[in-house]
Amino acid sequence: MSLGKMSQNEKDFKERLITTVKKEVKQVMEESVTRKFVHEESGSVTSLCGAVEACLSQGLRRRALGLFKTSSTTALLHKIAKHSPEAAIISKKVEELENLDPNRRSSSSSDSVTKPTLKKSASVPANPLPKYLWIRLALFEKQLAKIIDFLVSNATKYYDKDALVADAEYGTILSSLLMGPCALDYTRMKNHDHFWTDPPADELVQRHRISSGHSTPPSVRRPILNFRRSLNTSSEDSHTNRSSTQQIAKDYVETLHQNSKATLLFGKNNVLVLPVNSDLSKPIPGYLSLHQMPQGLAIKWTPNQLMNGFVDDSQDKSIFWEYALNVRLDDIVYVHCHQDSETGGTVILVGQDGVQRPPIHFPKGGHMLAFLSCIETGLLPHGRLDPPLWSQRSGKNHTKRRRPLPALTETEETSKDYVFRIIDNTCNHKDILKRNELMDTHASLPTKVRVQLGSTSTSSDSSTKSFSLDQNIPDSPPSVVVQAVCDSMKRQIISRAFYGWLAYCRHLSTVRTHLSGLVNTKIVNGVGASDGITLEKWSELCLNGVVSDYAEVYRLTYFGGITEALRHEIWPYLLGHYKFGSTLEQRNELSDETRQAYENTMSEWLAVEAIVKQRDKENQAHAIAKLSSESMSGEQVPPQIHEELCNEVFEDDSITDNEGDSLEEKETSAKRPKHTKQNTIKYVDDEEDSGGEQQAEEREKQANEENDGKNVQNEGALKNTENDLTTDKEDLEVAKEDSYINVNEELKDFIHNVIVINASVDICSLSNDNPRMTNLDAVTEENNSSLDTCIETHGLASPARSNCVSPASSNGGVYSQELLETFGLNLHRIEKDVQRCDRNYWYFMEKENLDKLRNVMCTYVWEHLDIGYMQGMCDLVAPLLVIFNDESLTYACFCHLMERMVENFPNGNAMDCHFANMRSLIQILDSEMYELMHAHGDYTHFYFCYRWFLLDFKRELMYPDVNATWEVIWAAQQVASSHFVLFLALALLETYRDIILSNGMDFTDIIKFFNEMAERHNVQSVLKLARELVLQLQILIENK
Amino acid sequence: MASRKKTLLKVIILGDSSVGKTSLMNQYVNRKFSNQYKATIGADFLTKELTVDDRTVTMQIWDTAGQERFQSLGVAFYRGADCCVLVFDVTAPNTFKSLDSWRDEFLIQASPREPENFPFVLLGNKVDLEPRAISAKRAQQWCQSKNNIPYFETSAKEGLNVEQAFLAIAKNALAQQNSTVDLYNEFPDQIKLTNTQKTSNNGDSCAC
Ligand SMILES: Nc1nc2c(ncn2[C@@H]2O[C@H](COP(=O)(O)OP(=O)(O)O)[C@@H](O)[C@H]2O)c(=O)[nH]1
Ligand SMILES: [Mg+2]
Repeated sequence: MSLGKMSQNEKDFKERLITTVKKEVKQVMEESVTRKFVHEESGSVTSLCGAVEACLSQGLRRRALGLFKTSSTTALLHKIAKHSPEAAIISKKVEELENLDPNRRSSSSSDSVTKPTLKKSASVPANPLPKYLWIRLALFEKQLAKIIDFLVSNATKYYDKDALVADAEYGTILSSLLMGPCALDYTRMKNHDHFWTDPPADELVQRHRISSGHSTPPSVRRPILNFRRSLNTSSEDSHTNRSSTQQIAKDYVETLHQNSKATLLFGKNNVLVLPVNSDLSKPIPGYLSLHQMPQGLAIKWTPNQLMNGFVDDSQDKSIFWEYALNVRLDDIVYVHCHQDSETGGTVILVGQDGVQRPPIHFPKGGHMLAFLSCIETGLLPHGRLDPPLWSQRSGKNHTKRRRPLPALTETEETSKDYVFRIIDNTCNHKDILKRNELMDTHASLPTKVRVQLGSTSTSSDSSTKSFSLDQNIPDSPPSVVVQAVCDSMKRQIISRAFYGWLAYCRHLSTVRTHLSGLVNTKIVNGVGASDGITLEKWSELCLNGVVSDYAEVYRLTYFGGITEALRHEIWPYLLGHYKFGSTLEQRNELSDETRQAYENTMSEWLAVEAIVKQRDKENQAHAIAKLSSESMSGEQVPPQIHEELCNEVFEDDSITDNEGDSLEEKETSAKRPKHTKQNTIKYVDDEEDSGGEQQAEEREKQANEENDGKNVQNEGALKNTENDLTTDKEDLEVAKEDSYINVNEELKDFIHNVIVINASVDICSLSNDNPRMTNLDAVTEENNSSLDTCIETHGLASPARSNCVSPASSNGGVYSQELLETFGLNLHRIEKDVQRCDRNYWYFMEKENLDKLRNVMCTYVWEHLDIGYMQGMCDLVAPLLVIFNDESLTYACFCHLMERMVENFPNGNAMDCHFANMRSLIQILDSEMYELMHAHGDYTHFYFCYRWFLLDFKRELMYPDVNATWEVIWAAQQVASSHFVLFLALALLETYRDIILSNGMDFTDIIKFFNEMAERHNVQSVLKLARELVLQLQILIENK
Repeated sequence: MASRKKTLLKVIILGDSSVGKTSLMNQYVNRKFSNQYKATIGADFLTKELTVDDRTVTMQIWDTAGQERFQSLGVAFYRGADCCVLVFDVTAPNTFKSLDSWRDEFLIQASPREPENFPFVLLGNKVDLEPRAISAKRAQQWCQSKNNIPYFETSAKEGLNVEQAFLAIAKNALAQQNSTVDLYNEFPDQIKLTNTQKTSNNGDSCAC
């Protein structure tokens, strides 16, 4: 092995070691973001420690230093403890722990202990000490980076020349990499014990009632001037006087992951940029990242040459450093986006100076959208994109995206360019924040002033000038510095008052522009309406069967609801089915038409349903047959195989008496043929014209013949299997599979050509009162079985396929395969959900009523196949059906209801808008709650409201309360707000506000809480609160 | 016992609508079956404490809506999962066919660190029903093809095998949390130059 090759190998190995550390660091950092904690026992912590151990072990001068313990790095730690205070701390802790553990002879942190169960502090370890003990401890105590720093600085003493730690680049990278994980707080993570003893929702509510007696009334709160303080303002700055390559390496590392100074919000590699001032002709790929820093957001782009790094010689690299982008979002006013189908889109940032930054070309795959939404989130709570990324007006043309990027205007269908303005509500606050940092720095660490001022001066805001202290200070004595600080303090106090006022003004303007669309401008008075529509009121409103004062109907409903007995009469008005001013005769006529149309539609889908049912049976038969064939060739013990083989013989009825493991299969397969015979005959009687009977008989004969043939075949197979189980079963299986595939294809063919001949006799009876269900059941049954026969015949390669005439019929047309499949799929979904719809409510305990629900649902889906059935629709039909107890009226009203609700379902945009609006509303109306949500794992995505909005709170409330809520939502559109659901959601949150705040609930807590509180809310008080919230916003907007 | 630290295991149940996810979860946590459960909308979770190998762990079992369209919100719920339970209905072939897409969807949305080693457990539910359409063998074959996923046949209705299945789920989840422990044993204390060359990959860890 040549020397050159060897060093290359070593380099590769080091590269690999460092890559592993990088990977683990990234994992830990991600875990700290995605989970609400990094658990000390987390696998990723262990992995990271392992990776560090591997790096530190490499090239360690064990022999020379006399490091002979099982873990040489632990020995190393103890060794350097004399010289490094950080190492001394850890060394002491390790010894303490080891002394507590009687099983330990020596410090062996890398032998095979599989279950790390590190206890914090010095409690007696119940379990063996974890692996990589000292590295773990050093990490948790935030000393690891410093210890490694020490090792790197003194590498010559402890390491071979070619060790990783002794390498100028790798050593620095290693210690820099660990700074991020060392900044995490492992001890402050949420305590599990606390979490798991969390009391259930009702106990929380109970406790709260006892402790406070009354809840804090929600009020419009002024925005508070809260700045997020940077955590370790300047602890990292001690590294500033490193050599430039080290600095570069460190920067590079920082762009990879977040650390105490910056949170990585977005990262994407292979993003193309053509750097300015470059001779390049084409954009080059690089790593784009978005960072949240104490000073604000920063966008960085680093050419790949630097990322893959350290291979080229330094001269080449320095050019690339000039190409790298580092843009502070503060300096940016506009974000231009160009979308086109060919590429992943382009973003151009335009600065306050009007200068464009080089275009950033995204690869395909939604990265641009992800990037933008990261910016949008990152700007919160004080800044935002205008227009918002998820705007209310987003058109339907983007429905393919999960979270559509709305166009600026809905009408611009052709253009795919958007311009977003970055609006910073509180850029002024940031200046104050910076000054605060400055103050802190002055107080404790005077030497850091320059560094801090350097960053401050980059602020783009016009007001910065007066605070540009950096020109005066650097060389001044401390007293001057103190004077400057006092000056700045004075200004700060004045400016705070000013900015507070300014922020309030801006806040109001935000409210106006952003939220004015959420409520009606006209404030309707609720005087005398609190009783709602009573029987008495109704008799006044409904004169001779004509209701013309619609405004009063809406008003009364909004403020007081409708008395139960009148709901079935008034709801159709509210939903838009009945017109105000119509006469009784007109409405009766409408009802007749509605019923007629409903029944016609039903007859259409019922015919298709029949075919679908047949197909189901085929599939079932196919699957069962396949199952038997499988088990025949299975690896079970021989006797069982024998039994199951017998099952394959459908026609042998005597098998039904068998017992054993495979009883179920036997039963079904044995039963089916009998069934078939009977029903086929019936089917022929009912539906076929002359000659049909003969056909059917022929078919059956054929089927029997074929089946006989199969019997023989199977017997042969059986013998085969018995004779030589091991060799033949493979072949057998293959053969079987083949024949089934055939079956399937033939059937497809067949279904495809289903020709419907004439209207079914059965449909005529539909208009009669109720025999339809029984009648239909019969039809279905018959159809199933007739096709069943066909399958069995075909399955055995019968030529008689064409004789199978389609039994289902409607208006004489051919149903496409696609239609059958789509409807079939929907049908199954509907059936499953109907079965599970409010079965504990008296109305749906009756099978008859479940059938009604199913009919309404199927009719809707048949008429709206493009929408299809989606989970939740049954929940929306159910209350209507209970009130009306009339299928066609329910159907008509449901259609009206769905006009609004359909947008909430996953293909619409409304859900995202609701979430976005909730975010804005909470920010404006209850910033404290917003801060909590943001701080506790950031659930300002408001996903926990999903079910609320999808079903208009139907699952959150009991039936009478659902009715009361729904009618208010419908009336609110006319009276107060067409987004009343938002205010209901707010009211729910505000109702439990103190509980949520005092328990510091996070995402899982809040989901648990509201799921447990379902059907237990006090609906009248929630409605009242919601109306008050609407009014508050209306007043706020009115007063400007 | 009191001094022992509790571990939280996050488990996600996925599968087509109506295969019995909600029923399984309730059978396991509350030991009861009801045919009055509503179709799940959105997501919900239950927690249960259990002891695995002398260790007290808390399982947080997430039940999600079975219709695929809810999945756009999946990311928020799947994140940080320690084990994913796939459920199908042994009497409904289509629910078996969907398993691949559920698995893929989960891996995409949850993006676990080592997708190929992420623990899944497969449950064939409703074995109390007939006729059966998917044999145990077929299910097992699928499991084998996916890196030997453990397979259990359950009945949420009868409570059959439910306890055992969830115990296995807990074990797998726990193993996942500890799995990476052994990963670095492969790093030799001394450099063995011959070994390193073929394994060294030029993996760019920042690739997202
Ligand atoms: N016979 C039987 N029925 C079950 C079983 N598990 C669930 N079900 C029924 O299947 C239907 C769907 O169950 P559910 O738990 O809501 O399914 P999910 O949509 O996957 O949550 C309900 O009607 C249950 O009663 C089972 O093991 N055996
Ligand atoms: Mg469910």
